[in-house]
Amino acid sequence: MKQQEVGTIVGSSVHLTGTIKDSSDITIFGSIEGEILSDQRVIIEESAHVKGPINANEVVISGQVAGTISAKSRLELNPTGTIKGNVDTSELLIHAGAVFIGECSMPDKRAEGEKGEEFFETEEEGLKEKSTEAKKEQETEPSDLIFGRKDEEKDEDSDEERESEEIKAKEEESEKRKK
Amino acid sequence: MYYYIFEPAKTSYERSYIERIRDVAREVGIVSEMTQASPARSPEELAAMGIVKQYSTIVAVGDDSHINRVISQLMNLKPDFHYAVGIISTDSQSMLFEKWGFKKPEQACETLKFRKLSRFDLGLVEPNFYFLTSAKIECKKPTRVTLEVDHWRADAIIDRIEVSNNLYILVERFIKEPSLGKTAFNWLFGKSNLRADRSIFKAKIIRAVSDENLPIVVDKIVVGHTPCHIYRKPNALNIITKRDNISLEEDNQERNRNEYKEQK
Repeated sequence: MKQQEVGTIVGSSVHLTGTIKDSSDITIFGSIEGEILSDQRVIIEESAHVKGPINANEVVISGQVAGTISAKSRLELNPTGTIKGNVDTSELLIHAGAVFIGECSMPDKRAEGEKGEEFFETEEEGLKEKSTEAKKEQETEPSDLIFGRKDEEKDEDSDEERESEEIKAKEEESEKRKK
Repeated sequence: MYYYIFEPAKTSYERSYIERIRDVAREVGIVSEMTQASPARSPEELAAMGIVKQYSTIVAVGDDSHINRVISQLMNLKPDFHYAVGIISTDSQSMLFEKWGFKKPEQACETLKFRKLSRFDLGLVEPNFYFLTSAKIECKKPTRVTLEVDHWRADAIIDRIEVSNNLYILVERFIKEPSLGKTAFNWLFGKSNLRADRSIFKAKIIRAVSDENLPIVVDKIVVGHTPCHIYRKPNALNIITKRDNISLEEDNQERNRNEYKEQK
């Protein structure tokens, strides 16, 4: 009779197939085969088994999930949790003991403000980029050194020239005196 | 004008309370006709008579079951007509008492006179029973039930299902405590060894299917059996509600309930 907002709870004795959609929190203790959609938070408890995609603002996983997860603001994987599937989130927290088999993609938060750090869709791409950067650095490092050496050489050359000029001047003075 | 349908009083306190409502309503001038249900005239018949006489405000006075029967009849006979329904709950333990319970008949009549209308959802158990409270499916032993709801379907072994008027579904399974240590501890301290596993869903239409035909009960009245559809009728009924208070509503409800119990 009360017309207040209560989230969806799937008990441990319930097996559900289909799409669950709720504007408030969804908590799962049982098993689900299908899609889970929430505007707020999805909590997968330890006893829960989920087969299908999850789409929510925040996702907390302590049970087993097989499917893609899209968490707009945050995804937390607790020590008892398992994810088999790809993850798309802006903040990821994995506790020790958790299992994550899949790929993770994160949006480039700092791209607009700073161009300092880059985010890659996969680890391989990131590693490739890093290795190319390192190569570039290796190539650039010697040239800097050469410039350094050249400057030093230039200084040394100028000293020698001065010395030779001084010697020449002394020799000329001594010849004049002899004359 | 106002047409009253009273439930027969069960206790002496209820009888005096109803008498006081009659007197105060006459004093305030919000009475056209007063009727009382009896074995000869059911609440449904009285509600039908009120419709025939073209009353637009029908007041049901009694417990949840009586109020639901009146509402159901009104909705079945003229679902599109915008009645104003007044409710005075006389059962302090009931669900409707929270919203429509009054410690004094004067308060009840003042609320009816002020006529602040709000729209409420109703539940409908197939084929034609409307309810403002909740429908229950209870089993003596754990039973497998399938709920088919909007875009999904749930299989569960249940002890009890409760469906509210706005179609919040509460599914309960009572599990015995598996640990012997905890069982002993609970026994020593007088706690229950049954742990409730609860599920809560929201829906617009539910279809409940079970191996056995389970009864669907609304306030102790069997209104149907599984397999059966339960629908939500949003904003189906205009009901006269209490005026808003500045103080906390919950505190008032609790105080009302306690004072009513003391008086009883």
